[in-house]
Amino acid sequence: MLVKILEFMFVAGWAGSAIVLLLTGYEDVGTLLDRKDENSH
Amino acid sequence: MSSTSNAPTGNNRVRIVVATSVMLTFISYWRAAAIILNDLGSSAFYAGGIAEQAIGKSAPWFVLGVMLFAFAVRAVYVESCSMFVRGGVYRVVKEALGGTLAKLSVSALMFDYILTGPVSGVSAGQYIAGLINDTIAIADAHGWIPYAVHRMFHGTPQVGVNGTAVVFAVAVTLYFWWENIKGIEESSEKALWVMQITTVMVVMLLGWSLFTLLKVGGHLPPFPTLANIHYSDESLGFWKHSKLPHMFGILGLIIGFGHSVLAMSGEESLAQVYRELAHPKLKNLKRTAIVIGVYSFVFTGLVSLLAVILIPDNVRMKVYSDNLIAGLAMNMVGPEVLRLAFRAFVVVVGFLILSGAVNTAIVGSNGVLNRVSEDGVLADWFRRPHKRYGTTYRIINLIVGLQLFTIIVSWGNIYTLGEAYAFGVVWSFVFKTISMLVLRYRYKGVRNWKVPPNLHLFGVEIPIGLASVGMVLLSTAIVNLFTKSVATVSGLIFSIVFFAIFTFSEKVNRRKHAHSLAQMKEQFQLQQAETVERETVGIRAGNILVPVRDYNTLNHLKWVLDRTDTRAQDVVVMSARISQFGTAAYGLTTEQVFSEYEQTLFTRAVAVAELFGKKISLLVVPARDPWSAIAQTAHNLESSAVVAGVSSKITTAEQAFNLGSAWEAIPEPKRQFLLQIVQPNGNVDTFRIGPHTPSMKNEDVVLLHRLWLNVIREPGLENVHHHDILTEALTRFEKDYGASGREDIVKELRLHADAGPMPIRRIADQIPTVQSEPDRSDRDDGHSDDSHRDDLPRDDGSSSPNSSGSQQQS
Repeated sequence: MLVKILEFMFVAGWAGSAIVLLLTGYEDVGTLLDRKDENSH
Repeated sequence: MSSTSNAPTGNNRVRIVVATSVMLTFISYWRAAAIILNDLGSSAFYAGGIAEQAIGKSAPWFVLGVMLFAFAVRAVYVESCSMFVRGGVYRVVKEALGGTLAKLSVSALMFDYILTGPVSGVSAGQYIAGLINDTIAIADAHGWIPYAVHRMFHGTPQVGVNGTAVVFAVAVTLYFWWENIKGIEESSEKALWVMQITTVMVVMLLGWSLFTLLKVGGHLPPFPTLANIHYSDESLGFWKHSKLPHMFGILGLIIGFGHSVLAMSGEESLAQVYRELAHPKLKNLKRTAIVIGVYSFVFTGLVSLLAVILIPDNVRMKVYSDNLIAGLAMNMVGPEVLRLAFRAFVVVVGFLILSGAVNTAIVGSNGVLNRVSEDGVLADWFRRPHKRYGTTYRIINLIVGLQLFTIIVSWGNIYTLGEAYAFGVVWSFVFKTISMLVLRYRYKGVRNWKVPPNLHLFGVEIPIGLASVGMVLLSTAIVNLFTKSVATVSGLIFSIVFFAIFTFSEKVNRRKHAHSLAQMKEQFQLQQAETVERETVGIRAGNILVPVRDYNTLNHLKWVLDRTDTRAQDVVVMSARISQFGTAAYGLTTEQVFSEYEQTLFTRAVAVAELFGKKISLLVVPARDPWSAIAQTAHNLESSAVVAGVSSKITTAEQAFNLGSAWEAIPEPKRQFLLQIVQPNGNVDTFRIGPHTPSMKNEDVVLLHRLWLNVIREPGLENVHHHDILTEALTRFEKDYGASGREDIVKELRLHADAGPMPIRRIADQIPTVQSEPDRSDRDDGHSDDSHRDDLPRDDGSSSPNSSGSQQQS
């Protein structure tokens, strides 16, 4: 039973994390393209 | 504004202004990324090898999965930093789940931090030992090893890999122990430099690997299915004799993931560097997260994958399991000597980055323990500063003692160390993510960013993204408890012991603090101020700032008080409370900043002032770097002079250099001031901080005058002044330096620099913002003995003659 719960958590967690990666990845592109305020010193 | 002096206030107590925000210098996101990657990137050197030893050839897919998942974990850190400037594990768990679980989570984090040192040190040692052995083996194959040597070693001479790794790890740990005792400053410059060299190596590695792939081809590792996961005896831990791992495919994936999770160790550093990030903070934090995410994915993830593709199966785990990148270098196409040279480069880079991680482990652990001791969780005894260097040497000794113990007990077994390391990594993430979930409902303060996606049902927010990350971490951590027996046992023992120390210390501290707080309240009146301003301290412009650190060396304070009429010029005694890497930055309580040590220090300072019958103002400033604290405080208080004692670590010229550099970092407009360093024998070295007229050699003055004489003979130039000649010369210099003449100028200047040993005072003269404050044109040899000057600048910034003549303070 514990194994089943753990497996569910892992799979569901990965599915949700994949959405996190997609959404934050999209946002990251915007952050990278926005060069104003950039100070690379 | 009420008086801030040692003169008794109405209730007979001395008022002290305690600033509660740390004075920081800010860094760009590139530098922040470099600092984090020094820790995070170092795992590329061992994570792939450890994972493959545990689960077989499909390990690189898990490492890539971990590196991908690390982007999501990073999002959790971005959210926590958008809520708390110091959004590390301790702060977040304490806010969400309370002190007990915060102590437990910080115990797991300490396990992670303390093990970073041994893992990195041993790994670097393995790379070095591997290089030595392979070089000897190649030399032997060419017949370059004499027969006698061959006989003596009963074959090809080889060094013991684990033994060498232990010796190396112990040596590096001891080196950084001593550096930390002395109080080396963390430098983002150094971190950036190490990452630049590492990047050169990564680019060469990837380029050469790609070329090799095109030349000889290769096969991808088997995909991570239950059939392709081959558990080693050690990788199943308590489930060694169970059928479970072989029955469920997804459980196999969790086990594999759990054995690879150490590849993302070092994420906590993201929260630690956040407070030092330059404006706009959140955007720069995201940029930092992207840089470290992409870099570690490429470095750790792709290198692990390429290692399995390019290194033949028969040697990969047998020869290169502990130095996988070296194995990759040796299995490229190309001449053997070139491959060996590249391997040596890999070892040098590994040495740099892994040694850096050993230091990060000590600095980070010290920071975390300092942070918890600020909350009274660790006994003050641990925090007592070193007599000479002022560092928290007892904490450093404890950390390094534990690291040395770990290195020796593991005897260089990187697999065991790595497995144990993962315990701290994954559990500190679990605590952090669960706390963030709780804070979604409990925290009512400002939150500038949230991990997406978030659903809203019937007015209730459901944090799908955050919960998903938490579920992956929690399931992995629970499975790890069963499959990593060594990590579970050692991690639990360590965490319980640390938890017990924290709990016991807290109880003792609570009793003790109640007593000392009562004592302190009798003697001092603490006035809390967010930042240091002249008006807050209640002093006039042109005051004298006297930084103090050690209550046994207050000679410079005596020197100032002997020479200053405090009715005309204020004297401010300042203690910079050094806040370590990992400690809180804002919203500190006065008790956190003004500890028992500061109490003793100021009691002595007040006694000195009373001896002279003069008034002083007292100030405590939390800071990361003492020089920045002094420069910023002198700037904010509009001080005309800073009078300091001699450092036990550096020369007076270097003290001036450090203060000058800190002054440079202050934004314009800023004012100049004098730095006077009082030596124990009463001699005083004086420097001017800020742009200034340079000291000129006699022959230069003569040359200037001669040129001027020639120029004024020209028709129409009769009214030209000496400074016009200088202006013209400097304008031409600027033009030439920015153009083709640059190389010649640099060459010429090098000749000046190489002309001979440079007297100390001249070193200070070279610094753009620091000038020794002696006579001007009367020096012709670079020496100037102004050690006997004992004037203090007055309110208007000019020097005033000493009321007691040339008397010196001894």
